[in-house]
Amino acid sequence: MIGIAGLSHLGIVTSAATAAQGFDVVAYDADAERCASLARGRLPVVEPGLAELLAAHRARIRFTNEAAALRGCELIICASDVPTDEQDRSDPTVINDLLETVVHHAAPGSALVVLSQVPPGFTRTLANGAASALAVFYQVETLIFGAAVERALHPERFIVGCDDPSAALPAPYAAWLSAFGCPVLRMRYESAELSKIAINMLLASSVATAKTLAALCEDIGADWSEIVPALTSDRRIGPHAYVRPGLGIGGGNIPRDLATVRALADQHGTPDRDWVLRTLHREVLSHRPDPVIALWGLAYKPGTNSTTHSPAMDLLEVLGSPTAQITVQVYDPQVRCNGRHPRQLQAASALDACRGADALAIMTPWPEFAAVSLAQVREMLRGSVIVDPYGVTNGRECEALGLRHLRLGAPTLAGTC
Amino acid sequence: MVTHRWQTPQRPSRVVILGGSGFVGRSVKEHLESQGFKVAAVSSSDLDLCQPGAVEKLSELIQPDDALVFAAAITPDKGKDFETYRKNLLMGEHVCQFFFKGGRCRQVIYISSDAMYGERVENPVRESSQGQSPNWHGLMHRHREQWLQQIVPPAVVLTMLRPCALYGPGDTHNSYGPNRFLQSAVHERKITLFGEGEELRDHVYIGDLCRLIELSLLHRSDGKLNVATGHAVSFADVAKRAAALCPEPVRIDPSPRHTPVTHRHFDITELVRAFPTFRMTPLEEGLAVTYRALLCREPATAVKT
Repeated sequence: MIGIAGLSHLGIVTSAATAAQGFDVVAYDADAERCASLARGRLPVVEPGLAELLAAHRARIRFTNEAAALRGCELIICASDVPTDEQDRSDPTVINDLLETVVHHAAPGSALVVLSQVPPGFTRTLANGAASALAVFYQVETLIFGAAVERALHPERFIVGCDDPSAALPAPYAAWLSAFGCPVLRMRYESAELSKIAINMLLASSVATAKTLAALCEDIGADWSEIVPALTSDRRIGPHAYVRPGLGIGGGNIPRDLATVRALADQHGTPDRDWVLRTLHREVLSHRPDPVIALWGLAYKPGTNSTTHSPAMDLLEVLGSPTAQITVQVYDPQVRCNGRHPRQLQAASALDACRGADALAIMTPWPEFAAVSLAQVREMLRGSVIVDPYGVTNGRECEALGLRHLRLGAPTLAGTC
Repeated sequence: MVTHRWQTPQRPSRVVILGGSGFVGRSVKEHLESQGFKVAAVSSSDLDLCQPGAVEKLSELIQPDDALVFAAAITPDKGKDFETYRKNLLMGEHVCQFFFKGGRCRQVIYISSDAMYGERVENPVRESSQGQSPNWHGLMHRHREQWLQQIVPPAVVLTMLRPCALYGPGDTHNSYGPNRFLQSAVHERKITLFGEGEELRDHVYIGDLCRLIELSLLHRSDGKLNVATGHAVSFADVAKRAAALCPEPVRIDPSPRHTPVTHRHFDITELVRAFPTFRMTPLEEGLAVTYRALLCREPATAVKT
């Protein structure tokens, strides 16, 4: 028996899709009138195909406003939509109240899946607090108004946030997921919560780009409808990209995620420039006298000797500042160090560049760098820091060797210098 | 963006400090003298920059080979109104007139403030940020910066440093933050927060500003730079750390909040690009030095770097 709690648009669609896969469903909502209406087949939302789907599988769904009915469910999915205020910020009252009820009635050890739109950090707080007696997961919802039934029955993948992504999922949850026959991407809670936002940010940028350039078309004599096929046939963009002409971003979800990102940016204030430089500064340069840096890669990408707009060349220039005494030992398979600064030295090999260095920075992901023995790198370095924005080296192997491996986008204790 | 005109560090023949008796001016004087610089610190009692004869006195004082540190201002604790703004602008006007009338020196370091960005500025704040609604104090710094940029001749190096909330030994301002918390922890055994002290702010140890001024002088560094640690800390955390330094228990009291919580973070990439090995003093370390100085009046430059 699977419990679906919160019968808003998302909850109703999820209930119907779950029943369509052959599961018996307890569909709970505190609103008795809504439950009664749904039991009579009356939908409070407009969604193509939903009435038919519900009618076809109605026998497997028990609509109820009695939360105690959830006690018999091994898997409970909280699927209430989270409303937003006039500034597109989530109002968590509804989901908090619902979760309080669900946690109170759920059998200890049962699986609780949060499918609602929650901000990063929400699920871990829940799992470590009120719902600590349950196996808690977050699952990204990708409901599209007007296409919700199709996406619920045939999802392209599930994105599941876990406390421990390497641990096996509870059997009832695994069975529910596998019934839909699509890939399951497991990751930590925060990654899944941010995935949802990341998807909407990319959609928003596509919509905004299309809107801006479509307007420009009118002034320069181009026709956006001729351009759309050029974009959708590009594999990097894709046939389903949001690039058709439109009047802007509507609905609640994308504006909500934009507001969430703005709030996160305000709270964390994370800079987005010169990641390697700032990491080297934090880890080595600000506290190591006469630092020595090994630098792998000068070309702007592997397979070329071009250094135009190469981040490595910019870093090299900064590290050559007259205000600092930084030695840089450089190796690139195709590009030689330009020798503009006296403390910047050409190394004979990747390993040679590491000799006596406090840190290694890998600026170009040349395949040959991945083949260099990390044990030998460890022996050559005098320090233990590897700044590897592209993840060329194996982080776990680095850790096993006592190296501090720092990859762009990976959680670290950054900021605790 | 900051560029260094001198590849090899070289002291200017003399550094003239305007505002030499203020918190920043005194600290800079002590630090530069300890590093072997020849310094002439001028206070308002020596040269009142608000008075009509100020331009002539500046012309007599400042030599072509000097570097000038412009740290004179009536600070918000002494006035936040239009009259204070007007007097501060008058000081700026007289310094600008010195240059307008042909006065020369090698370098001007203007001690501005992050207040020039105003309250409504997006995080993280960087040198190119365009904030809105600065208060009179912020508006004054914004206008002074604009005037100096227009008036100071291209041959004169112009360095704009925009420190965020400064703290450290010798701070007489008693504004909300580390110094006030330490003082009230020591003298009253309690610290009062606005609300729960949730606001995140960047707090800069005065010694760090002094060392950045020194480096900017040695390299004739040209450009604008925020002076921040890049690590914003809540006032509640600052209070806890200040309280932890005291041997006796210190009470931390919240108070009713009248304004919404706002945070301010700085992107210090430009600072790191200009001075890649520069180390900002961690808050715990700066607070500890300030606390000891409060008890026995240590000099501001006591933090070893």
